[in-house]
Amino acid sequence: MNATTFMWALYAREVKRFQKLWFDTVATPIMSTVLYLLIFGVVAGSRSIPGTTYSAFVYAGLLGMMMVNSSFANPTFALILSKNVGTIIDIQLAPIAPWRVGIAYALAAFTRGVFTVVVAGIITIWFIPGIAIQHPLTFLAGLLLTGTEFGMLGVTCGLMMKNFESLTLVTTFILQPMIFLAGVFYPVSLLPAPWNTVSLFNPLHHNINLLRYGMIGYSDFSPFASFIIILLLSVGLFAFMNQIAAKSLKQ
Amino acid sequence: MFALEVNHIVKTFNDKKKNIVIADDDVSLTVEEGKIYGLLGPNGAGKSTLISLISGILTPTSGTISVFGTDIVSQTVEAKKMMGIVPQEIVTELAFTVDEILHYMGGMYGVPLEERKDRIGEVLRDLDLEEKRYEKARSLSGGMKRRLMVAKAIMHKPRFLILDEPTSGVDVALRQKIWELVRRMNKEGTTILFTTHYLEEAEQLCEEITLIHHGRVIKQGRLSDIQKEFSENVVTFELFRPDVTHLPHVSKQGIEFHYPITTHLDQNMSEVIQHYGDNLRSVKSEAASLEQIFLKLTAN
Ligand SMILES: Nc1ncnc2c1ncn2[C@@H]1O[C@H](COP(=O)(O)OP(=O)(O)O)[C@@H](O)[C@H]1O
Ligand SMILES: [Mg+2]
Repeated sequence: MNATTFMWALYAREVKRFQKLWFDTVATPIMSTVLYLLIFGVVAGSRSIPGTTYSAFVYAGLLGMMMVNSSFANPTFALILSKNVGTIIDIQLAPIAPWRVGIAYALAAFTRGVFTVVVAGIITIWFIPGIAIQHPLTFLAGLLLTGTEFGMLGVTCGLMMKNFESLTLVTTFILQPMIFLAGVFYPVSLLPAPWNTVSLFNPLHHNINLLRYGMIGYSDFSPFASFIIILLLSVGLFAFMNQIAAKSLKQ
Repeated sequence: MFALEVNHIVKTFNDKKKNIVIADDDVSLTVEEGKIYGLLGPNGAGKSTLISLISGILTPTSGTISVFGTDIVSQTVEAKKMMGIVPQEIVTELAFTVDEILHYMGGMYGVPLEERKDRIGEVLRDLDLEEKRYEKARSLSGGMKRRLMVAKAIMHKPRFLILDEPTSGVDVALRQKIWELVRRMNKEGTTILFTTHYLEEAEQLCEEITLIHHGRVIKQGRLSDIQKEFSENVVTFELFRPDVTHLPHVSKQGIEFHYPITTHLDQNMSEVIQHYGDNLRSVKSEAASLEQIFLKLTAN
């Protein structure tokens, strides 16, 4: 199988789709990152966190949040739109197995996440003096895992949902609360009991934790344990996505 | 070799109210390689449902479908590679140009990257869309979008091309153009299956047909045989003054009258001439049109 045909052509198509809107793709997350940094990093910047500065802590968290948001948004948006416009038939007819369709969309989601984080990172990293990537390999692994995990979640949601209203509901009432309670703005270990324990069950906490460890070397939970947890969740999601894809691309 | 074998297909739908609708009841048909085959029937007959089953979008409740001997249910991907499908609904990517759409579509069907550029040029030339190559697909006219649908389906030079009502709602010139392309591709070796509810279209294009009605095959075979079978059954005539006493079993079909053949064509023909004499405007027993055959078949 050639690296430019079948599922890879679908992957290339989905990458092209967000590239066409590259400005919108990065402008929004950059804007919100800068605003968050101003509010939390500068206004509340005097608070201290052992081993790092508060603004570096928040910044790393914000990049993680950006990775989650953009990789989730890419497939949900593309798939729900294609259902409404009817172009979903193109992937239903194509000689590509449903699970490969899912992976193609998830990898495109990962690509968009990395693109967004890299571009936004280059533009905003100057806000945090002295910051440098501490564990590049861990950071890359964190990006890859987070991108595909939320890409697959996005594919699953995109295939299950019929319209943008239900997507908004899921984003507002499930994804956003999970992101905000994932320790983006505060170390989970500083929370009073039982919330510190509860937070460990928030799967997103582990993505933020792993990415932050890779980036600034700070973690509030074992990064290796977070890595394993994300890996297991991704395997589960992969199986679930395959089932949904097989069911919804065929009746 | 059969390009398509559909064996006793039943599809039962479970819709939201858990009602069961049988769309295709025990449909069977075979298409020989190299043929142009017509699937005919009125709206709602089940043509598109059958196409969806053949193209692997719907799973049959029972029965089997194979494309060049490859089973569509157990070897879906392999079977899909051999087919090009033009769905009935026109759908258009909002963000992409014609060139981009064909580029990715070709890729998804396995056309190597280095061949795609030339192939897009060829396909667009065939469909008279060259000037639109770098335009956004959504800016095309309806007829052009229809041609783009065809272009997408033939990028990978499928052995078997399926067109679901390719000419519904298109003007006469475009219809001719699509027929021309279908004939040319067929000459170059592509097997064609198309659906239509325009009966004259089938008469122009294909040798063999299946007529379906309410999800059932009601007639199948060579078009010429079907026409012969029906034309030998009846003498058709028109009258100057229709309100006269008729021969037994004469029925009125629009402005024409049909007299069923009971003994022999010549015998029945002369009975008509003797009975109506100079009241006859015309009399014939030529091949029945599909339209007439269809009306007859669906009446009982
Ligand atoms: N997904 C579905 N659920 C329930 N009924 C369906 C579905 N798809 C088609 N049908 C029914 O099958 C019949 C045939 O439809 P269709 O194949 O579109 O006909 P045609 O293409 O010949 O006009 C229709 O009566 C329709 O109600
Ligand atoms: Mg139809």
